[in-house]
Amino acid sequence: MRLALDHIGHGFLGRPVIEDLSLSLAAGEIAALVGPSGSGKTTILQIAADLIEPLSGRVRRHYRRHAVVFQEPRLLPWMTACDNIAYGLRASGTPLRARREAAERRARDVGLAPEDLAKYPAEMSGGMRQRAAVARALAVDPDVIFFDEPFTAVDVGLKRSLQDLVVAAAQREHFAALFVTHDLAEAARIAHRVIVLSAETLGIGTEIPIATPMAERTDRAVFETVEAWSRDPRLAELFDGDRDGQP
Amino acid sequence: MRILGGLGDVAAWLGRYLWSGWAGLAGLCCVLAAWQVGHEVYGSFILPSPLETLAALVALMQEPAFLAAARETAWRAFAGFGLAVGLGTLAGAVAGYSFAAMRLMRPVVTFILGVPPIAWIVLALIWFGPTGGSAVVTVAVASLPVSFAGALEGVATRDRALDAMARSFGAGWWLRFRTVTLPHLVSYLFPAWTTTAGSAWKVTVMAELLANAGGIGGELAIARSLFDIPRVMAIVVAVVLFALATEYGLIQPVRDRLEAWRKAGQPWGVRP
Repeated sequence: MRLALDHIGHGFLGRPVIEDLSLSLAAGEIAALVGPSGSGKTTILQIAADLIEPLSGRVRRHYRRHAVVFQEPRLLPWMTACDNIAYGLRASGTPLRARREAAERRARDVGLAPEDLAKYPAEMSGGMRQRAAVARALAVDPDVIFFDEPFTAVDVGLKRSLQDLVVAAAQREHFAALFVTHDLAEAARIAHRVIVLSAETLGIGTEIPIATPMAERTDRAVFETVEAWSRDPRLAELFDGDRDGQP
Repeated sequence: MRILGGLGDVAAWLGRYLWSGWAGLAGLCCVLAAWQVGHEVYGSFILPSPLETLAALVALMQEPAFLAAARETAWRAFAGFGLAVGLGTLAGAVAGYSFAAMRLMRPVVTFILGVPPIAWIVLALIWFGPTGGSAVVTVAVASLPVSFAGALEGVATRDRALDAMARSFGAGWWLRFRTVTLPHLVSYLFPAWTTTAGSAWKVTVMAELLANAGGIGGELAIARSLFDIPRVMAIVVAVVLFALATEYGLIQPVRDRLEAWRKAGQPWGVRP
């Protein structure tokens, strides 16, 4: 077990968002966190990633280091792609030469060309920026990666290739991942387990393991999984668009 | 090979920098033309022609006494600039980080900003007497609010999302300050520093003239009492040239170096 959240509670300005929530993440496991808007997906991720302190409960971390891939690329505009990818290594005090080498290797891993490394974010396309953000997370050799709806703003084809890239990297390097998404097809494609949050109980509504091996998750299989979920009463809250997070 | 590439970069930058100077020169020529018209209307006693002024300026630059006075003024302006920029930036950055400090310091700065520089000169004269110290203090106090406001805005508007990203990788506060806040802050500080550098020269000369404390201001007072109008004009032009040299020889090159990344997003040939 890499990460465990025990009886976590949090809220903003007196309004509770999550109450008594517990979840854990095993080594090498990709868990997708889905839920209606306002159910606290991003809040849970930020608590797990130590970006905010929960009001109650505790977080146990059994790993060396983690990385976060945010919804926006969050690249530093005054640094080249190379320096951006190496940023996490710089924070941990890795020498310059080793940082450069790691950045070059990770850029290759995510499909960035060597000449892209000298570019500033302003010179890169949206897809290239998100690839660089993924490379920056992979560069620190993390045991756990937190993904906060990272591929929401990219087009369908690119989204597919970035998802494949994450799955391949996870299989190659055995990191665990908590993947917040509002796209059920994305969850069905990449996750071993789907954690469904409920805005009514302010906690986990249900958990659904996905047994299909990654190699067999074709478009058709993903479509059928999502189709079956749409009839599942445990997931009804997700498909009820009228609620929009208002209890 | 690498060194050659670096030299090429420097040469390309220098070329662009000098080329952008032509536009400025064209504007200056328009001012000179208007000046010449004024001279022809009012005559030499009221407004000496640009050429007369140039001749006086050349003569001025060969006087050891004037050069010593200019050095004195430069030193005072520089000291005042350093104090204003150092204290103003530091206090502004602290205020940007701390809401409480901002609430405390803002009214003080508004107060300082409201006092005219001429009043500071009178106060400094009483406190420090007719020495260079009055000029330095006047520059420092009069210019401090600009740096303060720049640093405050810069730190307060830093990108918190980027800061959270840096924290998620375990970056300490010093690394976060250098890589996330400072590059953003610089774009707020340079306009403030440019203003401060310009006003440092002006306020120093004014303080010297009023305090009778030597320097260029002292030279100006003497030229005025002798009704040597071409000399007065030459001194004025000299001060303008010094201020321009400070900005384009010192501040802008540093800015261009620090903000090279901004050029990346601009289409070719477009310069702010």
